[in-house]
Amino acid sequence: MTGAAWDVELLKLRRSSVARTSALALVLGTCALTAAFTAVGLGDGDSQMAVKVRPMLQGTGWEAYLGMLGQILSVGVLLAVGVVVAWTVGREFTDGTIASLQALPTPPAAIARAKLATVLLGAVLCAVATVALAVVLGLLIGLGPPDGAGLRAGGRALVVALLMAVLTLPLALVASVRRGYLPGVGALLGIVVVTQVATVAGAGAWFPWATPGLWAGMGGQAAADAVTPLQLLLPLPVGLLGALATVRWWATAELR
Amino acid sequence: MSGGGPAGDVLLDVRAVRRAFADDRAVDGIDLTVRSGEIHAIVGLNGAGKSTLMRLALGMLRPAAGSVHLRLPGTDAVEAWHAPAEVWAAVGHLVETPFAYPELTVTEMVVAAARLRGMPASAAVPAARRVVEALELQRWAHRGTGTLSMGNRQRLGLACAAVHAPRLLVLDEPSTALDPAGVVLVRAWLRRTRDAGSGVLVSSHHLDEVARTADRITVLHRGRVVGGLAPEGVDLERQFFAMVHAADAAAACDASTGSGA
Repeated sequence: MTGAAWDVELLKLRRSSVARTSALALVLGTCALTAAFTAVGLGDGDSQMAVKVRPMLQGTGWEAYLGMLGQILSVGVLLAVGVVVAWTVGREFTDGTIASLQALPTPPAAIARAKLATVLLGAVLCAVATVALAVVLGLLIGLGPPDGAGLRAGGRALVVALLMAVLTLPLALVASVRRGYLPGVGALLGIVVVTQVATVAGAGAWFPWATPGLWAGMGGQAAADAVTPLQLLLPLPVGLLGALATVRWWATAELR
Repeated sequence: MSGGGPAGDVLLDVRAVRRAFADDRAVDGIDLTVRSGEIHAIVGLNGAGKSTLMRLALGMLRPAAGSVHLRLPGTDAVEAWHAPAEVWAAVGHLVETPFAYPELTVTEMVVAAARLRGMPASAAVPAARRVVEALELQRWAHRGTGTLSMGNRQRLGLACAAVHAPRLLVLDEPSTALDPAGVVLVRAWLRRTRDAGSGVLVSSHHLDEVARTADRITVLHRGRVVGGLAPEGVDLERQFFAMVHAADAAAACDASTGSGA
């Protein structure tokens, strides 16, 4: 019955206004911010924004542009996908549909797995669409054909987006255990705050939710270069553990 | 009113089951059965334990004591808590909130329920069409469920519960929010379901309605069975309150005896 759970959850996700709005905000909003920040940072202006954005830009042309995209994706994916993860799980409790997802041949654990897998698939598609749209926009504003450094920056942006998407999965556990999407959204906001604090305190590279952003260049080139492969891979077990714990909880807890 | 034939095999067997939430004994030693070909109604005031009993019967809650067994045709008797998939394929339920996601249409919702209840995609579509027609939801078949009235949402919930023609149907307040025409429609549909051999456990506040529908009526009060009502009996309301008041008086007597001891 796993196929049924996948089909139903995919249909719900495709139709949901929460997922559609988040996807649009992620793809269009990220590209718009990237274009704006890059233009301001590479320009000659001395505005407060230009002063703040300039250290975030590494290199010129495609490298600077897609490097900025990666940094903005590190925040955008966490917020957009995090909201959808919290909502898709927590809504069943908030809306009272959780009782209808039990006493079925399709086990609750399969439904939880399908929820996380469909959101992850949507996040991957959005990440690819964002990078693709950014490339099209880059061509339109006259950056010319992407060079090697630009392609590496684009690949880095994709990796950052995927890592951040995986890091949203533990929010499903919060939404499940606390039985609603608002606790999940609250945890998301808490993660954003703690990420800031950890980064300012200098422990960002070891804080999984901060590592991809640092690697993308949010703390400058030196901080990006200091991120080790082990630190960069840390989000994977953290996200996976969150997903496994969520599925386990759906398999064993009283869902009420 | 008993319109069906003789009731058959026991499908649901609840014995001395108990379940509390903190210090509230929601279900306090209940015995109950549901047989194939019968509608067994449980009636009681708010907080009597009806919904908790249904959740125990559906394996949504773990009993603190006692047992809840499902004995569906073709399967061995199994505990409801974490019963295997093949057992749930023969069970349908509507507990509290109708199964309705506002982003899906009525037909999509019923097909989704059919798929989750174990039907292959090829069978789910015609089954959904049949139950939508049986519950007279065709007019709204392609409308979003978020636009439905409360009564139509309730009928949609019933369609989702029964789309796979279950052998055991567990329905919490199935007449809630229905208009008089909807009540008559659901009553006739429930009788047809019973006559086709399914066992039905329903809860209700409405004594007149269960008298017209049920084959057996069990009265719950404060988590216990305090008696039964004959569906064809007269003045069920008076009988119901007599049972409830007698149970309260017995409980008060027990309490005073206990405090004096």
